[in-house]
Amino acid sequence: MAGQEDEHDPILDDKKEAEAKSEVSVGGGERDMAPSTSGTSIHRSGSRPQLDLSKAEIQGNLEERDPTILLPNQSDDISHLALDIGGSLIKLLYFSRHEDYSNDGDKRKRTIKERLGITNGNLRSYPVLGGRLHFVKFETHKINECLDFIHSKQLHRRDPYPWSSKTLPLGTGVIKVTGGGAYKFADLFKERLGVSIEKEDEMHCLVSGANFLLKAIRHEAFTHMEGEKEFVQIDPNDLYPYLLVNVGSGVSIIKVDGEGKFERVSGTNVGGGTYWGLGRLLTKCKSFDELLELSQKGDNSAIDMLVGDIYGGMDYSKIGLSASTIASSFGKAISENKELDDYRPEDISLSLLRMISYNIGQISYLNALRFGLKRIFFGGFFIRGHAYTMDTISFAVHFWSKGEMQAMFLRHEGFLGALGAFMSYEKHGLDDLMSHQLVERFPMGAPYTGGNIHGPPLGDLNEKISWMEKFVRRGTEITAPVPMTPSKTTGLGGFEVPSSRGSALRSDASALNVGVLHFVPTLEVFPLLADPKTYEPNTIDLSDQGEREYWLKVLSEHLPDLVDTAVASEGGTEDAKRRGDAFARAFSAHLARLMEEPAAYGKLGLANLLELREECLREFQFVDAYRSIKQRENEASLAVLPDLLEELDSMSEEARLLTLIEGVLAANIFDWGSRACVDLYHKGTIIEIYRMSRNKMQRPWRVDDFDAFKERMLGSGGKQPHRHKRALLFVDNSGADVILGMLPLAREFLRRGTEVVLVANSLPALNDVTAMELPDIVAGAAKHCDILRRAAEMGGLLVDAMVNPGDGSKKDSTSAPLMVVENGCGSPCIDLRQVSSELAAAAKDADLVVLEGMGRALHTNFNAQFKCEALKLAMVKNQRLAEKLIKGNIYDCVCRYEPPSL
Amino acid sequence: MDSTQKISHLALDIGGTLIKLVYFSANGDYSEESRNGCSVVHGKLCFAKFETRKIDDCLEFIRFNILHHSGVQHPNGAAHDKLYVKATGGGAFKFADLFKEKLGILFDKEDEMHSLVGGVNFLLKTVPREAFTYLDGQKEFVEIDHNDLYPYLLVNIGSGVSMIKVDGDGKYERISGTSLGGGTFLGLGKLLTKCKSFDELLELSHHGNNRVIDMLVGDIYGGTDYSKIGLSSTAIASSFGKAISDGKELEDYQPEDVARSLLRMISNNIGQIAYLNALRFGLKRIFFGGFFIRGLEYTMDTISVAVHFW
Repeated sequence: MAGQEDEHDPILDDKKEAEAKSEVSVGGGERDMAPSTSGTSIHRSGSRPQLDLSKAEIQGNLEERDPTILLPNQSDDISHLALDIGGSLIKLLYFSRHEDYSNDGDKRKRTIKERLGITNGNLRSYPVLGGRLHFVKFETHKINECLDFIHSKQLHRRDPYPWSSKTLPLGTGVIKVTGGGAYKFADLFKERLGVSIEKEDEMHCLVSGANFLLKAIRHEAFTHMEGEKEFVQIDPNDLYPYLLVNVGSGVSIIKVDGEGKFERVSGTNVGGGTYWGLGRLLTKCKSFDELLELSQKGDNSAIDMLVGDIYGGMDYSKIGLSASTIASSFGKAISENKELDDYRPEDISLSLLRMISYNIGQISYLNALRFGLKRIFFGGFFIRGHAYTMDTISFAVHFWSKGEMQAMFLRHEGFLGALGAFMSYEKHGLDDLMSHQLVERFPMGAPYTGGNIHGPPLGDLNEKISWMEKFVRRGTEITAPVPMTPSKTTGLGGFEVPSSRGSALRSDASALNVGVLHFVPTLEVFPLLADPKTYEPNTIDLSDQGEREYWLKVLSEHLPDLVDTAVASEGGTEDAKRRGDAFARAFSAHLARLMEEPAAYGKLGLANLLELREECLREFQFVDAYRSIKQRENEASLAVLPDLLEELDSMSEEARLLTLIEGVLAANIFDWGSRACVDLYHKGTIIEIYRMSRNKMQRPWRVDDFDAFKERMLGSGGKQPHRHKRALLFVDNSGADVILGMLPLAREFLRRGTEVVLVANSLPALNDVTAMELPDIVAGAAKHCDILRRAAEMGGLLVDAMVNPGDGSKKDSTSAPLMVVENGCGSPCIDLRQVSSELAAAAKDADLVVLEGMGRALHTNFNAQFKCEALKLAMVKNQRLAEKLIKGNIYDCVCRYEPPSL
Repeated sequence: MDSTQKISHLALDIGGTLIKLVYFSANGDYSEESRNGCSVVHGKLCFAKFETRKIDDCLEFIRFNILHHSGVQHPNGAAHDKLYVKATGGGAFKFADLFKEKLGILFDKEDEMHSLVGGVNFLLKTVPREAFTYLDGQKEFVEIDHNDLYPYLLVNIGSGVSMIKVDGDGKYERISGTSLGGGTFLGLGKLLTKCKSFDELLELSHHGNNRVIDMLVGDIYGGTDYSKIGLSSTAIASSFGKAISDGKELEDYQPEDVARSLLRMISNNIGQIAYLNALRFGLKRIFFGGFFIRGLEYTMDTISVAVHFW
């Protein structure tokens, strides 16, 4: 994949006119080469490894009539429900199962499992249950909306044990509830839903919720200083002890020593209730949020007595107080002959907020000090993602501790209690969840994006789309799918001018979105990472404002083309157009939201951003926007492969190796993610472009370790190097990139007796080739090449491909197998902390990793260190990235060879 | 006041809220020669207070009592030079020009903290039964062993609150403080109750019931103690927390109740922060002072309860 770039094209400029009319149109385009991907109603979900599961789904339906197979509109198989009913908000949590259905029907998978020694694909072998955790919020005074929601999703009629999906008879269910409302509404629940409420201790829930989040979610905690959020990674093995400060009406300060081990060590009666209570009496505000909103425009120096007021404007520096330090909250109100009405409510609200926040920060600091605790986490409704509150508390902790301690906050802050109640089910199935098994997604369609629900629940995609359309019409009203979208951004048409992040922090803007947590038990940490703890997939730091704005703009500009492609991929039907429209609106809203609050979806990297786009496409059921393009290019490339192989075979070993690497780099120009490259497609046939591109590959490349790699492969001074045992080739685009670039390289390794594992996406992303498409491609290539055919047969790739089965019988003991594994993701980039179990298994015997393409070798993993040798190959198809990363220019090439890092 | 008294040694502490005046008034006009030849003057130390916003009353008082003539001449100055008066507090800076203009006296500015600690050390060491505890309405005087005085925590509650760790004569450090102090009580109190003065507000609080406005633990947990975490049902869970949901306006609450809740909120908080700081430095004794305390039983009681509780 690549970023987009619309700069001039130095390679083909001169040929533009001549080639303009000879479009790439080999193969007629419409033939369905991969029937297995043509399912239409399967991919409703879009959790990572589920694409290939869908095949099993269809087969199961047709052949085995397996009753457990889910129909699309039954995909929410809910098994758990827990609530936290507070005074103002109800937080609801439910778990829907998305099991890793038996994949043994997929022959590639079955062979891979045998070959790699994965003995048990059974889900029982994983301690964690596959599924999704949904977070929903309601206002307590609208409890009926909550009851309707539960009822419409039949959340209350599920067996509390996750592996049992049976429906309970009415009147027997029990739901775990925490919060003050657990008693108050018990009768209502019984009456409306026929379920009993089991009340769970609040503090216990709070702590177990926090423990879960801090251990399971990689960047759950963040600091907040002067309006800037910074996500903090906490080592789950070094979490305890910590201080948890829950700021509700009052404040509880809890020392947490471990799972279920905690003590309320302190607290204060000056809390959120004081702010709201006093604030209401003093300002006549009607709601807590209104009061908070007021504080944004306040000036506390109108009411607070500052050090400067007492000392006549000079600092009392001797004791470390600056003139603007508050000496006495509301102290000015004593000496002036003013009435309450003479003060601005804004100023009063701010003075109150600062008084209470500072006080909470100070008392928390003193308690942390008392017990020698390093970390203080703040939560509770008073915080509620409100930037100024977080800032003042952080300031107080920083001030009093002289920078030794940091106040931290949690992204899922509001849901601690509900999570704890959820965890209080005897067997919730999440005990051993590890952060690498968890993926957070931000679907747009649910009205509860961000946790808030408005209006009736959405049943299916059609309702979701209608809702998106309504969102457009009503613009900024409360039905906006991103609830925090402020009035300035409509969520439409890309970007307004980036709003300046001045001193005024809006409360609505700073509240963070809460996504759906996907538990994917099959995900594992890539075993060949040198140090998983310090591994950071993203190369470019999007917390840098300039970078962020650039990439958000790139994605925004690319959006219309993507929508066209996606709609065309489904024949341009009215339905496709409607979904395309909804997708465009949804994705624009995501981008606008990130522009406004970069931390909205948690720690943001380019990989996350690109994956968000793919997930958003899937959400609106664009299963594979580039399907027909990919097929066309695969066929065109396969057609010219024999010529290329013949040419290669005529070369000396040394010349061939260079040509192969040149070929990989040259073929990487075929990239639909790159604007610059898309233009090329109209300028020549694939083989012409490929050859031209390869001829331009003049060494030295911008990053050029070819000589070191060559020495490793061919040896020097007559010394024969040992051959690689197994090479993992992470492939990128379909068409020429994989067929003319990576397959010939794979063939070279096979020829040397090295086992080759092609690693491809589990789900489509742009025109990237997927693990499901590869067997057919390999089969096509094998028709003309004995090396590939033998290896593919050994790797089990040809069994279900269209080749003459008679050819597969002769075995050569010296030849090595060619295998295909899925990588576990559906993004153009790859985060190696979360890969499929089959990739992890395949990595076991590997001693070489080849990463190809911008997404996997540059945007991510450019700086990744491996326990084995690594070769990173890519053409840089983005001017900015070229400058930033390699101080070069667009179309420069990277050939980075790294010995094992240990 | 008997104007024939010989007044000397005027000293001022001009705070954000109050001006405190101390002067020495000699009894009659005799002085007695002590055995070692030093002159010991018998007399009394007089104390007076004014609200800072009524600084003109204070100026008038000084003029009337001719206190300003009691200042000392600058050691090197000529007879007709300006007189110097010891002054501390923020107002020593802020009102220096005013005193010079109105009374012709100059301030010899003393560091506030230094003055405070000096004063307390003096009192604790020289005045028997200076310190007392106050719990459940019972005042109990405490004899402090002069040799076992240090270190102690001095909490001075003025408009704001300073917490000072005192290790000896002239050896002290401001270790903490809070902006929720006397100024907050009076400031918020004025806005909430229309009281005109500190005393009026204090008086009101005597007659109030904080349960009307404060959310108690019992309000949340339905009357039962939340004993698991050591909270009784009458403990305040959230000051002013009931005002959230009552649907009442400010006018619907009794000013007495408001004043009471306010007083408890601030006193509790000061007590708690003082306790945590004492704990931090391993200090056994905490002395509270400053105008907010002012001998007011309920304030002292609340602070004591807070320290005791925590």
